[in-house]
Amino acid sequence: MLMFKLALRNILRSRRRTLLTLLSLGGGYLLTALQLSVTEGSYDQMLSTYTRDTTGHVQITAEGYVETPRLYDSLSLNDADLSELEAQPNVVAVTPRIESSALAYGETKSFPVDVVGIDPQREAGLSFLADKLRAGTYLTDQPDTDGYFAAMIGAQVARQLSVGVGDELVLVSQGADGSLANDLYRVSAIVGTIDSAESRRVVLPLRAAQQFYAMPGKVHRLIVLGRDYRRAPQLAEQLDGWAGQHWDDTDVGATSWQVVAADFYRTMEADKSGGQVTMVILIFLVCVGVLNTILMSVMERTGEFGVLKAIGTSPGRLFRLIMLEAGLLAILACLLALILVLPINAWFTWVGLEIEPIEFSGVLFTRYAGQMSFYVFAQPALLIVVATLIAALWPAWRAARLVPVEAMRRL
Amino acid sequence: MSTVIETVGLSRHYGSGDTLVKALDAVDLRIEAGEFTAIVGPSGSGKSTLLQLIGGLDHPSEGEVHLAGQPISSYSGRQLSDFRRDHIGFIFQAYNLIPVLSAAENCEYIMLLQGIKADERQRRVATMLQQVGLAGREDRRPSQLSGGQQQRVAVARAMVSQPDIILADEPTANLDSQTGMDLLDMMVELNQRDGMTFVFSTHDPKIMERARRLVYLRDGVVEREERRD
Repeated sequence: MLMFKLALRNILRSRRRTLLTLLSLGGGYLLTALQLSVTEGSYDQMLSTYTRDTTGHVQITAEGYVETPRLYDSLSLNDADLSELEAQPNVVAVTPRIESSALAYGETKSFPVDVVGIDPQREAGLSFLADKLRAGTYLTDQPDTDGYFAAMIGAQVARQLSVGVGDELVLVSQGADGSLANDLYRVSAIVGTIDSAESRRVVLPLRAAQQFYAMPGKVHRLIVLGRDYRRAPQLAEQLDGWAGQHWDDTDVGATSWQVVAADFYRTMEADKSGGQVTMVILIFLVCVGVLNTILMSVMERTGEFGVLKAIGTSPGRLFRLIMLEAGLLAILACLLALILVLPINAWFTWVGLEIEPIEFSGVLFTRYAGQMSFYVFAQPALLIVVATLIAALWPAWRAARLVPVEAMRRL
Repeated sequence: MSTVIETVGLSRHYGSGDTLVKALDAVDLRIEAGEFTAIVGPSGSGKSTLLQLIGGLDHPSEGEVHLAGQPISSYSGRQLSDFRRDHIGFIFQAYNLIPVLSAAENCEYIMLLQGIKADERQRRVATMLQQVGLAGREDRRPSQLSGGQQQRVAVARAMVSQPDIILADEPTANLDSQTGMDLLDMMVELNQRDGMTFVFSTHDPKIMERARRLVYLRDGVVEREERRD
């Protein structure tokens, strides 16, 4: 306790210098915490949207389908299967999909397209597809009075085939049984923009896609939404066990979005690492200033350290005293800065900074958002404290090695 | 009486060749327990150097310092710290108290280094500060005390750890003559009552009168000794 008191009073004895150091360290903490908050908040927003709209958090597929999607690698599915899956712990929503390709024909032109068969109601409850209609109406799973199923098409498909809402669309492909698949659909909506992921896509009701590809009662993917995209690997592990037992006649497995979209995930992680480098550089610059302060403080007190050593303070204890002073300074700076960071970060998280709208995965982002989490506050604090301690190592080592009689000549 | 400290051929040289300065040259000295010894001599005679070498604050160029028969010259930095902590009490000319600690905390600090429990530390500090006439001023920082009071705290700090010997380097040099004499009276009393061993350097004739043993140094050499029983 006396050592703690001594360290604290040493910090407070040169108030102006301490204040400047606190400002430097606190400023560094404030900037890094806010940068981390905005980075994490933006990634969180992006990944949450991406996974929800594209891959889901976990996918249940036939073994090998994720790596090499093939028309034939499907799994049987009925309403009872879906209900049972939905009842699994940590599962929030589920939707089935069929995915393949086809050649689409308009009145005069043809264009290769990606075909996705969806359960319109379930899909609307899970992804943002229903929010991306540029024209027309959302899918229904029943054919119209003329017996045509509806199809929603991407903007590129509409442009290439010169078709619009209400026009007919012909799809030609190969069925899972090897037969020639062809059918006529009525365009009910245009989805997304030329640049969006749905641009080359034709979206059909699941029943229509099953008929088209000769896959009655079968799907390619079961998209599962959990409570948190970050916990997808755990959910995948949990559902993998369940799926293995449930489809005991087929090799079925559950895969997290980090594996399904491995390239995207790696890119995101690399991007985040880039942000961390910026943060480390910022902290390094702050700590160079702190090194100067601590070194000055140690040099000014050389005579006093000589006395401390003369009366029996061991080199190790003197080293620890200076490290304690540096650590206390850093902790104090972080705590004071936290008082400022908390309301600013709360504003970033719940209000955010308005920006020029950016489209990502067909969804518009209109603000930079922060993140209120322990990580956002703790990581920069840890970095500041550790970096300050590293900066203090040399001055502390120098003080510990002082020869008392030489040091006391500085008094 | 038992020997507390013994120096054998103790020398401290600075520089080399033509610029060699012999601050201390082959000093043999034996300090017995309970002695009240003054090292006297003019400025530059080597008084402070001798005390610094006895106290393990500096390394000798030649010779040895023995504490209870053990040579301390071969001690590592850590061992020397422990030696000073457990066996030596220092009183410096400029008091050299820790400015951010109170009078009581200055005394307590050294016992903290010794690993003495808090309640025992506080008991000893209270007793010691009372003995040096500073009861009621325990919480004052050095800057709130007069020079004489600061030196009394330094005496208390030196004694509170119950060392084998107290080394005082011109302890009254920064004090007015009356305060200096009062401090000396107090040191004499502590020596006579508790049997504490004191070795101090001085060139003040009034202070020399109070010493029971005088060691005269000149140019780093023991010129003569005088005992007054």
